[in-house]
This record gives sequence, structure tokens and C-alpha cells, in this order.
Amino acid sequence: MFKRLPPKRKFILILALAGLVLLALYTAYLDYTVRTRFEGKRFKLPAKVYARALELYPDERLSPAALQRELGRLRYREVEQAPQEPGTYRADDATLELISRPFVFADGPQAPRRVRIAFRGDRIGKITGEQGDALPLVRLDPPLIGGIYPGNYEDRVLVRLAEVPDAVVNGLIAAEDRRFYSHHGIDPRGIFRALVKTASGDGIQGGSTLTQQLVKNFFLTPKRTLSRKFTEMIMALLLEAHYSKQEILETYINEVYLGQDGNRAIHGFGLAAVFFFGKPLAQLDDAESALLVGMLKGPTYFNPRSHPERALERRNLVLEQMAQEGYLAAAQLRVAVAEPLTVVARPPGSSSPYPAFLNLVYRQLKRDYHDEDLRTEGLRIFTTLDPEVQQAAETALAKGLARLDRQRGLAPGTLQGALIATSPENAEVQAVVGGRDPRFEGFNRALDALRPIGSLIKPVVYLTALQQPESYTLTSRLADRPLVLQQPGAADWAPQNYDQQFRGQVSLRAALVHSYNVPTVNLGLALGVPAVMANLQRLGVERELPPFASSLLGANALSPLEVTQVYQTLAGDGFYTPLRAIQAVLTAAGEPLQRYPLNVEQVVKPAPLYLLTRTLQDVVREGTAASLKQYLPPAVEAAGKTGTTDDFRDSWFAGFTGNHLAVVWVGRDDNAPTGLTGAAGAMTIWGQMMADLQPTPLVLTRPANVEEDWIEPASGLLSARGCQGAVELPFIAGSAPTESAACGPGSVGSSIKSFFGRIFGR
Amino acid sequence: MKLRLPILVLLVALLLAGCSGLLPGLAPKPSQNAGVLALLDQARQESAAGRLPAAGASLERALRIEPRNPVLWQQLAQVRLAQGEFPQAENLAAKSNALAPEGWRLRAENWRIIGQARQGRGDQEGAAAAFGRMDSE
Repeated sequence: MFKRLPPKRKFILILALAGLVLLALYTAYLDYTVRTRFEGKRFKLPAKVYARALELYPDERLSPAALQRELGRLRYREVEQAPQEPGTYRADDATLELISRPFVFADGPQAPRRVRIAFRGDRIGKITGEQGDALPLVRLDPPLIGGIYPGNYEDRVLVRLAEVPDAVVNGLIAAEDRRFYSHHGIDPRGIFRALVKTASGDGIQGGSTLTQQLVKNFFLTPKRTLSRKFTEMIMALLLEAHYSKQEILETYINEVYLGQDGNRAIHGFGLAAVFFFGKPLAQLDDAESALLVGMLKGPTYFNPRSHPERALERRNLVLEQMAQEGYLAAAQLRVAVAEPLTVVARPPGSSSPYPAFLNLVYRQLKRDYHDEDLRTEGLRIFTTLDPEVQQAAETALAKGLARLDRQRGLAPGTLQGALIATSPENAEVQAVVGGRDPRFEGFNRALDALRPIGSLIKPVVYLTALQQPESYTLTSRLADRPLVLQQPGAADWAPQNYDQQFRGQVSLRAALVHSYNVPTVNLGLALGVPAVMANLQRLGVERELPPFASSLLGANALSPLEVTQVYQTLAGDGFYTPLRAIQAVLTAAGEPLQRYPLNVEQVVKPAPLYLLTRTLQDVVREGTAASLKQYLPPAVEAAGKTGTTDDFRDSWFAGFTGNHLAVVWVGRDDNAPTGLTGAAGAMTIWGQMMADLQPTPLVLTRPANVEEDWIEPASGLLSARGCQGAVELPFIAGSAPTESAACGPGSVGSSIKSFFGRIFGR
Repeated sequence: MKLRLPILVLLVALLLAGCSGLLPGLAPKPSQNAGVLALLDQARQESAAGRLPAAGASLERALRIEPRNPVLWQQLAQVRLAQGEFPQAENLAAKSNALAPEGWRLRAENWRIIGQARQGRGDQEGAAAAFGRMDSE
């Protein structure tokens, strides 16, 4: 049929047909794009990270103020009358009544519950339920402490259309797309109006339908060209052809960008409601809904926090548009327009208040999960962070470093530090501080600063000795005389004691209590440096460490986290438990994905560990950490060890009480000397933190094969109760000295005593 | 005068009841803490229903409240034993022993768990040694 046409016309027709085919192909391609993207996972959901859930039980040490702090973290609202809805509470002097929020825990869902907590001083007295029944245990929902975000840092809380307030939907339609329910994706009248307004100089108008806006956000780059506009229109028509108005609206409500929190992008009305009003979307009133709708025009320009007046004006315009469209009665409009902005304050700065802890959580998760899954699957991660311990740690470190800067005459901000706190028995990490600014998201010294550990190594040297009771006891004599070590390929090394004195001979116990270097080197060399290093690894260090003689004085560098793992094993009765920041991981739907159970592995027998821990308590009682008594009452019986490195570059303290273990490092990022010993620097911060936490005493269980004997300290020989200067020391059965001192059991004085003892039936 | 004897008997009975928790060989109350007792009870029910991971999780909650309570460590050891996690059962029972003073009845039970765990992983000699310790506790 082409033959009859003149060549010019033929050419035009072929061109037109080819154009149509291309258009059809392009449309088919767009159709494929629209459908695959819409059928699959529409949104990347960041993982949500929670702190530990607070358990409430009678006699718990928890002050009314501490409970209110927790409720603040949970964004529970204080009310005047009896609380009526989940997430609210009423407090007076000694009681607090709350309705807990429903929450899906790793062990299943927990329904909301009305409870009344009566305090007795700084403790919980009684907990009662709705019917006045006594409750043994109530678990609050855990505070959300951060997220693990997709590469674009989009964060959102997905909502279903059914939970979206009518005011949001009506506001969207009134302000953005009045003919949404009648058009097929594009609105010719809207486009015409926009063209007229643009042409008449009324400013550039969008004229986009909600569907087009969704297409623009969802499929296209923000480039503004004519061809892109054309693609957008085709895709909008395709979207409408395949999906219902409800589905498009719901996706729109979850997609849109509504604000910025640091590098976290706030997407969707669900998260915006929490971010701006501190409550779920379903609870927003007309004015609050209109405010969010109004922000769509320019989330930065109309940000109610930075530009409250602009945002208020814009909100009221949206409310009036809603009234014009018949969505609001005149009376409703009056009430809504009169309402002040109800935007909640938010913590300044970063997206998580605990970046250093989150950093640890993320690293532990990376062992088991793909990065992509962590950032997009909406996993719910339950961690071990205790916000109260974290608070005490942050305050103690920041204030302590500021004080030490002043004391040393350093420019403010010179000293840096790191702190990790754990629960000694179950190895749960309660707090991580990565530097003096706890909100800083950069270099995390608690995990990544590698520093020589100095005398913190000594307990490992002495433990290695005490594990050989046939050769070493607490009363063993160690040489303390000038010592020169010649090693091939290295300069001669002559270790010195801190005070540059030599004492000739000291007991093993005194050498650890007073942290003498020379006897430690002698002991370590006798034991063999590789044996000590092997023990360090058994206690939890994974890194290979070179066995130099100077390793016996802590020349090897470890991170505060690695040091914590070692002391964790000592505090945990000789049982190694990998430090845990995560308790469980659930899917977005609340299905348990993985639990991180409490696993223990005995790596040190109880008896030598008991001897070591008793001596570490003596370090605090009478040794290098004696000045801790400025912070903690002696009855706490804390165990700990100071650490100082060459030229005072690093100041360390590691120690534990009945319920908290903490490791503190203080030094400078440029590794210059600080002039601080472990006791003058890190220990003061440790002491301040523990004092704030009011720790429980460290009560040791004496193993069955350990006996106590009275010893004359100077000679290390057997003595007796009442003899001058005698101390009672633990010995592994069969290892106690048998020779008696002048006042000991074999002496004349003792015979007289036992004579009287027999007479009076002592 | 007539009233005195019954009162005396009552007093002695009360005294004995009050001291029984301290006497070696008698099982003391597993905890003084209402929350811990509630979780122990929950863990027992979960164990009885065969929901062992849940029982383990409840015991871990209890351990967060009373980390040095040897009864809780022992219960956790029993759960792991029932789950066939023999090395964990053995270590957890050893942990319970490390926290239980000499003379407590639960020490013998811990040695029984250790013996069974060793049997479970085929260490007959080790199991016999543990059962021996059980008898000597």
C-alpha cells in the first residue's frame, strides 16, 4: 500500500510508525519498572535498636526520679489525672501510676498494663495491678536508642492507611490534589491552571497530582526537564491503571520526605509524627495533621522548630483549604487555627544519643548479618545498654577529664578518655563512651584506641603463678634487686620500680598490691613470658601478642574493649563470656530471628582466682588504689588495678564491684605524656562513676579447697590471730607455709595460748 | 502454766523453720526477690511445656536481677542439659558451684548435671569422676 504514496509522505508515515513502536516499547519498559518496584519491597526499613528493658520489682533500688528519667526516655507523657491511655503516667511524692505501652519482646507480645508503684525511699516498695493485686514483676518497653540506616540514611515508620487520621488524608487532598479521587494519575485541569499561573507571572506552579509526586520521589531523579515530566506522566497513568487509590495514597504517606535529623532523613508521616510530636500518627489532631501536610511544600523552609511562625502560617492555610473543601466545619476550623504549635523538643545533635555503643552493636551484628539486611529489613535489635550506667559513665568521664586538664595545667580539651562498663557475671555491656564528647560519631577510643596496658597486665602474671600452688603462694618471696636484661637485637633493659627503690625481697602479694615492676619481671621470667601471654589469651584476648620481657610490664597495646574482656573473666569467677551488646534480634514482624544466649566457659579454676581477687581487693584497700576511698566506702570491697605506661602517656584503671565492672583509659590522641598515673587519672573517673551508681559490695565465695591462715607479713611464716601485724591470707589446700614465725602456732606463746584454749574449751 | 508447753513447742518449731534455710543439706528458698521467684516459676512452666529456649530466656532475665544466685545458674544448666548443649550445661553447673558456698545441697546436684553432660558427650571417665564428687558433697 506504501507504493501508491509519494516518497516524502511514505517517509513521514514510516517515521510515525517507528515512533509509535518506540513509544510502546518505552511504555512497556516503564510499566515493568513501575510494577516490579511496587510489587516488591517498597521501602528500605532501617534496623531499630533498643536499650535494655527496665524491670520493676519490689525492693529494687530505683528512686522515683530514676523511674521518671526512664519514662522520659520512653517519651511517656505525664498527666494530671489518673492515666487513661498507654504511654502516660501520673506521679506524686512516693507513688507513680502508669499504663505501659504494648510491645513485642523477643519472648512474645506484652499487653498494656495499668500499674501503681509505691516507693519506699530510693527503693520500690510495692507494685499493684488494676485490681490492687500485688505484682512481683513488671517489664517496661525498652527505649529506642537508634537505628542502622540504609545508605541514603532514610528512616521511616511504616503506617497503614487505616491508622492515618482523616485529617492527614483530607489535608493532602485539599492542599495538594483536589481531584485525586477522580483523575487517572494526571489532572489536565491542574496542568492548565499551573500553566496559566506560571505564564501570568504568579510564580512557578507544580500542577502535579499526588500520583505524579509519588512517581517523582519513587522512580525518578530530581532533575527537572521536559522529557522527565513526560516520563512522570506516563508512569503516573500506569500506576493508576495497576493500583487502587488507597494503595497509592498509603505509599505516598509512607514515602514523602518531611525533615532532617543530622544525617538521618525523616520520611513518611509515621516517623514525622514521632519526630515532631512525640506520638504515633493515629493520635494527631487536625492542627498537627495540617502542620505536617503543610511542610510538604518545603520541609526545611516550613520546619516548625527553626521557623515556627512560617510553619504556623502555612498550617493555618492548609486548615482553611480543608474547610473550603468541606472537610472541616467552621467551629473545627476555629479551634484548630487557634491551637499553638505542639512540636516537642528533641535531643540536639546526632541521630543516636549513644553513637559509641551503637558502634559496638553494629560490629557485633556484622558477624552474623549482611550489611544490606541490617539497613533495609527493619530488624528489631534488643541490646544491653543501661542508660543510667551510660549517663553516669558519660558524666564521670567528661567532668573528670575537664578537672584533670585543669590540674595538669593543660589547655581545656587536651586529655581524651574512654570508658566501658559491663555487668560482671553475664558480660553484658552496660555503657560505652568513646571520648570526652559522648555524642561524637567519629573515632571510638573505647573500641579502636590501641594503647600499651602497663600494669593492667600484672594480675595475669600473678594469676599464672598462683595457678601453680606447689611453687607459688601469696607469701612467696620475690627478688627486688637491680636487674639488667640482655636480649639479642635489643638494647639492654633495666626495669625500675615506680619509686626507683629496690627492697631486696618482697612477698608476691605485696608486689601486686603495690605494683612493683622488678619483682613482677623476675616472677614473669621464672614462669616464662609465653606462659603469661598464653594465659592472657585464655582470659579473652584474641590478638597475637609478642612475648617480650617488657610484655610483663604491659608494653603490648590493647583496646579498652579488649582489656574489659580480660577483666570480665576475672570478675566472672574465672568464666570467659564474650562481651555481649545484643540480647536478641527480631524481624520487622516480631518473629525471633536470633538470640544471643549467655554462654560461659571456665578458663580459670576457682581457687587461684580467689587468691588473685582477694589481692586485687587489697590493691584498693591498701595498695596503689587506696585513694579510691575518697569515692567509695570500704565496705564495697572493690577489686581493681591501676596502670601507668612509660613517661605517663597512658593512665588506666580496671576494676569491679558486686554489680559493675568498668575499664577507664585516659591519655592524649597525639600520645604525648599526660603526667598522670593510673591512680591520679583514670581511677578518679572510675571512682566517680561507681560512686554515682552506688554499687553493691563484692562478696566472694571461698572455694572449698582454700583455707585461711595467719601470716607474719615480713617473713611470710605462719603466725596466729593476735600476733602483732599478723594478716589472714588465703592458701590453696596444702600450700600454706608450715614453718612458724616467733609468734606462730609452733612458738612458745602459742603453746601457752593453746594450753589455755584446752582448759577453757575454746 | 498449762499454756507454756504449746507455746514452747510453737517457738521451737518457728525457730527451726526460720533456721532451716541456713542449715546445710536443706534447700533454702531460691531467692528473697519476688521478681526472681516469678521468673523462676515462669521458667519452670516453660521447661515443663518443652519451651526450652523461652525457659532459658526467662532465667537470663532473672540473672540480670540476681547475677550471683547459684540456683539460677543451676536452672540454666538444667535447661541446656535438656537441650543437649552438653558443654554449656557443664560450664553453667560449674559456674553455679563457683558461687555456692561449701555445704549447699545444690552443689551435689551440679555435679550430677556435670556428670550427665559428660556422659552426653561421651566422656564416661569424666562422668564417673563427677558422680564421685556428687557423693562427696
